[in-house]
Amino acid sequence: MAFFKKKECGKDYPKDTVILHQFPRGPYAPSMSGFCIKLETFLRMANIPYQNVHAYKTGPKGKSPWIEYNGDVMADSQLIMSFLSDKLEIDLDKTLSKEQRATARAFQKMVDEYTYWSVLLERWVYHRGESCKTITKLPSLVVWEIGRRTKNMAYAHGIGRHTQQEVDLNLEADLTALSDFLGDKKFMFGDEPTEVDCAIFGQVSQVKYHVPDAVKAKQFLKDCVPNLDAYCERMKERFWPDWDECVTNGFTKEATK
Amino acid sequence: MFFTIAVVCVILALATFGFYYYKYRIANKIQAPKDVVVLYQVGRGPRAPSFSPFPMKLETFLRMAKIPYINDHAARFSSKGKTPWIEVNGQAIPDSQFAIEFIKKKFGVDSNINLSEDDKAVARAFLKLTEENLYWTMCIEMFGDNLEPVKTVIPYRGFKLWLTVTLLRRALAKQTWGHGIGRHSKDEVWDVAMQDMNALSSFLGSKKFLMGDEPSEVDCAVFGMIAQIYWHMPGSRHQVYLKENLSNLVDYINRMKERFWPDWENVTLEGTGYRSDHGELHVPEQMKKLNGLSDFSRENGKG
Repeated sequence: MAFFKKKECGKDYPKDTVILHQFPRGPYAPSMSGFCIKLETFLRMANIPYQNVHAYKTGPKGKSPWIEYNGDVMADSQLIMSFLSDKLEIDLDKTLSKEQRATARAFQKMVDEYTYWSVLLERWVYHRGESCKTITKLPSLVVWEIGRRTKNMAYAHGIGRHTQQEVDLNLEADLTALSDFLGDKKFMFGDEPTEVDCAIFGQVSQVKYHVPDAVKAKQFLKDCVPNLDAYCERMKERFWPDWDECVTNGFTKEATK
Repeated sequence: MFFTIAVVCVILALATFGFYYYKYRIANKIQAPKDVVVLYQVGRGPRAPSFSPFPMKLETFLRMAKIPYINDHAARFSSKGKTPWIEVNGQAIPDSQFAIEFIKKKFGVDSNINLSEDDKAVARAFLKLTEENLYWTMCIEMFGDNLEPVKTVIPYRGFKLWLTVTLLRRALAKQTWGHGIGRHSKDEVWDVAMQDMNALSSFLGSKKFLMGDEPSEVDCAVFGMIAQIYWHMPGSRHQVYLKENLSNLVDYINRMKERFWPDWENVTLEGTGYRSDHGELHVPEQMKKLNGLSDFSRENGKG
């Protein structure tokens, strides 16, 4: 029965091509997940051939994105990026010193392990109602369940124990730190992008495009850290010239890529 | 009959809860003078002032910022269900990082005063790497299959030790799963830990402190965390790797220890001069002349 047949590399999908499993396209950015945007931006930055499979199916660690590559299944965006960099002998950070690489890692951890959670709480817990009206078409029962799970996981993480005001302030502090470090550079470490730009763009794009207007950080990004806002535009232009084909434009059309 | 048993059980449960709530939240609370911070934390650690990184971070910060404070080692938990936390003039501030922000505003202190905006941004990033990433790898390492090492660090005995380790292990399994890092294999987690430690070491380089020649706020957090690896993770991969490969980090934590903890031997359980400082006022040198404060520790008594 085809339903149970395991997919074969070279037959069901091409060799040496990353099969990127991720959520369906978002309304205003290519994904509602900062990690999916991070990984796909990385693949584009590193010129790694890939093809998308858009579905809500999660990978072996219960999360998305995940990939298949020449018969191997892998989960976790950062582990995938390390794996592909090793396998294909790619180093997007080759111009960075040891100290800069360390700093890049620190910023990647900040956005992926902290900023991410603030955005999740803003979207699915504090402003769930507004999210339902503006950035998701999922049924309210599903959104309620997402909110419940988010709350539990955020509580386990620790950040969920804070008040909404504390989370708001922390999110602004993260954006301020990114803006201060970026300064008037084009990308985080100079005129050319490096690997950490994928992670930062991934998470900050969620603040820019995929939280309701009531979220203070959204306006903060525009008004108080405009260099970070401009950076997002720069990353979008550089790696996503087909942006309009990768969004549903507020659910008014199908994304064609 | 069953109804009566159920009612009795509920009453007993409520009474037990009430007793422990009273004992751990209310009884024998230290009455601190005005503008003296009460620092609520668990008891001292065997080879470092705490067996948790967050009390060490907070207490090191208080010393760095020269704020007078009193320790409450009765393991009272905050309204957020965690420890450490502080109380100032009756106002409770849970969470170590929010406590630091509160103290900075209230007392007008700033350990980051010599840092540029760029440096402060980098410091925040390393704070998050240390507390939101490296920390969890340490929990996974210590509360894995072999619990014997962690039992030599948590300074309880018998049933209390067993209960603490069991509850912590269960809580950490849930927390690391929710966080995400608990979904990785042990080897993947170890790789993350190694890269985090390498990043800290590479960034520190030959500097005296993380951001330069003088310590700043982030040093409290990094010191608190690496001190746990060095002193309180016996035989772990973290400790072995740190000692064998990252000598600049080892020198760094000893530098922080000498600078802010000259009384280290008095505040570690296996120290040569250990004595309990529960209820004792810690006053920065220059404040000892302040009226009334230097006599406080003798009058207040230790709980």
